[in-house]
Amino acid sequence: MDFFVSQFISGLSMTSILLMVSLGLAIIYGTTGVINMAHGEFVMIGAYTSWILQTKLGMGLIASIIPIFIITAFIGFLIERLIIRHLYNRLLDTILATWGVGVLLQQIVRLSLGSELKYLEIPPYMSQSMNMFGQDVSIYRVFIFIFAVAIFFIAWFIIYRTSFGMKLRAVTQNKDMASSFGINSSVVYSSTFAFGTGVAALAGAFVAPLKSISPDMGTNYIIDAFMVVVLGGVESLLGTAASSLIIGESSSFLASFSNDTLAKALVLIIIIVILRFKPQGLFTKRIRS
Amino acid sequence: MNIKIFKNSFILYGAICLVLFFVPFVLKNDPFYVNKSSTYICFGLLAVSLSISWGYTGILNLGNAVFFGLGSYCMAMSLKLKTDAIHTGTGGLPDFMVWNNVTSLPWFWEPFYSLTFGIFAGIFVPVLLALVLGFFIFRGKIVGVYVAIITLAVMIVVYLLIMDQQKFTGGFNGITDLFVLKMGNLEFDAYGPTAYYLIVSVMTIVLFISLLITKSRAGLIFQAIRDDENRVRFLGYNVRTYKTAAMCVSAAIAGIAGMLYTIVMEFASPTFLAVPISLSIVIWCAVGGRQSLMGSFLGAIIITAGQGFLSETPTFLHTWTLVMGLVFILSVLFLPKGLAGLFEKLTK
Repeated sequence: MDFFVSQFISGLSMTSILLMVSLGLAIIYGTTGVINMAHGEFVMIGAYTSWILQTKLGMGLIASIIPIFIITAFIGFLIERLIIRHLYNRLLDTILATWGVGVLLQQIVRLSLGSELKYLEIPPYMSQSMNMFGQDVSIYRVFIFIFAVAIFFIAWFIIYRTSFGMKLRAVTQNKDMASSFGINSSVVYSSTFAFGTGVAALAGAFVAPLKSISPDMGTNYIIDAFMVVVLGGVESLLGTAASSLIIGESSSFLASFSNDTLAKALVLIIIIVILRFKPQGLFTKRIRS
Repeated sequence: MNIKIFKNSFILYGAICLVLFFVPFVLKNDPFYVNKSSTYICFGLLAVSLSISWGYTGILNLGNAVFFGLGSYCMAMSLKLKTDAIHTGTGGLPDFMVWNNVTSLPWFWEPFYSLTFGIFAGIFVPVLLALVLGFFIFRGKIVGVYVAIITLAVMIVVYLLIMDQQKFTGGFNGITDLFVLKMGNLEFDAYGPTAYYLIVSVMTIVLFISLLITKSRAGLIFQAIRDDENRVRFLGYNVRTYKTAAMCVSAAIAGIAGMLYTIVMEFASPTFLAVPISLSIVIWCAVGGRQSLMGSFLGAIIITAGQGFLSETPTFLHTWTLVMGLVFILSVLFLPKGLAGLFEKLTK
């Protein structure tokens, strides 16, 4: 029983990181159809922004949440305006262009801040462990979990309960029809891209203290995030949450029977097989044409 | 008209191959630069491989490096078993197996005692994987993004397995301290011109076979599938067979490139089938012109040679990569047919 609980909790921790990283990707992909290969680099930018704000400007982790979101969302907005928007009529090419953007971002960081690893510390008030169901759990991981769930609900609220969200859903369903009803789809696209970037960056900022920060850290996340999104189905936020849980938990349990590397390979194989038979993902009824 | 273009591209390809034969003379047989040039040509072949599947058939294979890596490992396994006794344990057991407490050679290493088998496997193993993958992906009529994601995921799975099975594959370190390739009386020293001539000869053969394939009936159907898959299906062609075939040809070429790369690098490493190199192939093709074999080939050579030239100082290298990223984005935006498209426009 103890074994089960401890694996379940470590799976939840993985789930919350996966959810934060893939949420932005799901929103961008679901709305615009852009396959954003630079998403991992947005996570990396978030980690670096957090590092700069905390070590150079002495801000706390909580206080830096909003500045990080604003700065990176603005970067995302610029990228959409300059590059992505010219490719909406040939979506497969967005894989290439956004990957180029990823390379650019990595190199800019490497040239300006150096390629050596950087470390951030967990804020002292969250560095202890607490007892949960008879297990020692790091408070910081609990905090990340709560924060991930909160971000998920904020995104859900924006998309399903605000007028902007209604426009966003309208544009997702039929861009031309929405435009003829007076919705400015170009604004919707760029703000979606900016929002998705901001969320990815926050994920980076929160993951940074658990791992090291490096210019190429993004590549570790992009594949995982893509797997979550395609498994969950592209137009469903709940699907993203559910598939984060599935992937997080199955990685955690498989890892306990073998090791992390094998577990990762196994999870990938399972996803490949699922995608082969259900390319639209597990939780959607229709796919974007 | 058609026949004229046909002849022209054969002459053009022949001329470029001929020029490449004279590179060692220009470099005055300098071991370092001859070795470097050999690696660039291997990357060129790798780009040709992606050009056939992506540029000609429209299969965006983001995991193309898996074929390259498998080819490379097959060659490395064969050369490892011929290595000097200082790098082996009792009974010629490879050194990394000794460190991992493996007592006898695993069964799948046994046939690699034969170099002929190793070379055969370097082509056949990638083709087999392509066959399985093609059967798996294209029967389900999976297209577009999902092909890209599945191929990428498959490559990562193979990468993770190689990393994990350290006792059989050398894990993170790969397979090192290889024996020099010997065929008959010829010894292909990685730093000498012999290996270079071997690679250029193989390259010439591969380029011409690829050119013949793309000019053949099957090659035309590949291009038709790229432009409108459904129309080809309605015309009665079996699209998935052609797509699988394109992927197998691509895998065979990548496997050959991988084997040659092992010969010049003198090791095989899991990085050969990791994400960075696989995505680099996509850049080479996109910048060079994915719909042209020679465009992709030269794209790879220009970019990797530029990288090699600047690699002595890290700052230059990083700036070069930055510039490459920018060129890549610009070519996606404004030059979807790459440098080859530009060349075509200028010569018209």
